[in-house]
Amino acid sequence: MIKVENITKQFGSFTAVKEISFEVGKGEIFGLLGENGAGKTTTLRMLATMLRPTKGTAFMAGYDIISDPEKVRSKIGILFGGETGLYDRLSCEENITYFGELNDMDKVQIKERIKILAKTFGMEDYITRRAGKLSKGMKQKVAFARSIIHDPDIMLFDEPTSGLDVSAIRDVHEFIRSCKNDGKTILFSSHTMSEVEKLCDRIAIIHKGELVEYGNIEELKNKYGSNGLEEIFIRLVGGKHEA
Amino acid sequence: MRLKHIWIVFLKEVKDIVRDKKTIITSIIVPMVVIPLLSMLAGGSVQNMQNDITQNVTVALSSNSNTKEIKELVEKEILADFPNISLLDVQDPIAAINDSTVRLVLDIEEDYKIKLEEGKPFVIKLIYDKSQAKSEGSIGIVSSAINEFNNRIVSERLAAIGVEDAILVPAKIEETNIANEDKTNLSMLSMILPIMIVILISAGGTAPATDLVAGEKERNTFEPLLTTKTGRASLLIGKYMTVTLFSFVSAIASILGMVLGYFIDPESMTMGTGAQFSGFNIPITAIGFILLISILMGMTFAGIQIALSTYAKSFREAQTYLSFLIIVAMIPGYATILMQPNEIPVYMFMVPILNTISAFKIVLGLNINYTYLTLALVSSLVYVAISLRIAVYLFKKENVLFRS
Repeated sequence: MIKVENITKQFGSFTAVKEISFEVGKGEIFGLLGENGAGKTTTLRMLATMLRPTKGTAFMAGYDIISDPEKVRSKIGILFGGETGLYDRLSCEENITYFGELNDMDKVQIKERIKILAKTFGMEDYITRRAGKLSKGMKQKVAFARSIIHDPDIMLFDEPTSGLDVSAIRDVHEFIRSCKNDGKTILFSSHTMSEVEKLCDRIAIIHKGELVEYGNIEELKNKYGSNGLEEIFIRLVGGKHEA
Repeated sequence: MRLKHIWIVFLKEVKDIVRDKKTIITSIIVPMVVIPLLSMLAGGSVQNMQNDITQNVTVALSSNSNTKEIKELVEKEILADFPNISLLDVQDPIAAINDSTVRLVLDIEEDYKIKLEEGKPFVIKLIYDKSQAKSEGSIGIVSSAINEFNNRIVSERLAAIGVEDAILVPAKIEETNIANEDKTNLSMLSMILPIMIVILISAGGTAPATDLVAGEKERNTFEPLLTTKTGRASLLIGKYMTVTLFSFVSAIASILGMVLGYFIDPESMTMGTGAQFSGFNIPITAIGFILLISILMGMTFAGIQIALSTYAKSFREAQTYLSFLIIVAMIPGYATILMQPNEIPVYMFMVPILNTISAFKIVLGLNINYTYLTLALVSSLVYVAISLRIAVYLFKKENVLFRS
């Protein structure tokens, strides 16, 4: 479902991502693990066609991110960490509708989909209220609904739990699992070992823009003779630090 | 770029801005209410000042000339026909000017009577304070009273030797103004309106332009938008149309406010000139031209504003750039405020902003030249294209869009 081929991104003389390749199968949760500034967000931005790779390419649901960016965007949903990025003066319904319309859905489709999503996320009581008047938790659910209004095949999560409290983190994790249950392919970036370990089927560890390890979590544990991902991460990244 | 997407973005942005009380207050309510209110207050105070200067002129005699004889000369001979000027008796005349009790002090030679009888001139010194508008403004009024006194004495002297007054006036001046009332009033409008249009249109788009790109980036609503199927050009054009619309809504609100103020209090709104702003006979084609040219100027401003807002790292940075843009826009307006419609060189119809100002001036000055208007229109179109091109370029440039 996701095929990344030697993708590279340079900003001037600085190489943010260097020749990264990996594949994610349909219905899989794949974790991009790395420290802050490792190149996770840049990778996700390239896959979401926000940034154009300097070299290499990727195929999202079969579409090339360079030659077919519009088709790629119609197949992906994205959720960012931190602020939910809702329009405070629009109602929850209007916020979601706007993204549905921008993804070429018709009014009837949007209405039906919002009805389902409102029920799924328990938003029925506040769906017509303005987003600016809602609690952080409520806003987060609207952001979830907005990201999947067009029922994308692939979901990208860019550090979705950063800055959230425990119950909000749990909501995000549940949302990721529900996406998996719906058959969506998930690419998930994080620097929190425990959540990656808890959610992901396979992972890629990125450090200073380079992919340093890639595979199934259990296989990696066996390979490095360790019980925890954190230890493997420190060994891989720490070694690189010393170098 | 798809029209459908542009329209969706435009409708959403309009809805969002209409719900933003801050923007509505600053771009519509403030210009509609505050600008005419300020004009009326300023105009009203100018009018009151003018009335006050002519109506209640107070004078005193200097300590040296404060004699019964001189007092009689002033009251009965000089000021008799001027009920608006009153002679006050004060202890310290100079202090009386300073504390605004009197506007002027008359210092008259003590031996004036002898000189008057001998037919020799005597001196009346007018002591005033130039720093006080009312004191300075009273000089003309008191001088005309003294001139009338002079004329009367001269007439009496000439009559005594059997000569007519007319001998003193070999040539009489008669003025004929060939401009009709329309042209006179329009000439005032051609000075003020162009600069106002430029300022209002450039200021009107500031709040939405800041909010629609720099504001979105800061509130983290921008990145999700870039991941939708909609292309960047469609997003940009939708936002650009919104800024253009609000530039005009704001400009129209201000003009409506001024028209309303004019109907409520025409004297104050025209700074006491009483100019009539109705019933002009401007050809409809010329009006069409200046409307179109000002719309194109608004579109050019919107393009630059969106480009600056895209370039800005933060909301505050965008506000700084866009406020500076208004100042830049004012410069050509003020530089040409006194330029007459028939003095405008051809190149000015091709320079940004100046082309709009020049077009307004020649149309309002009833000096209409359709070749020049076409030149202004075509150059405006070119500037719209250039500003939009810059905005699209920056909007698509990764290192600008994700600048932090």
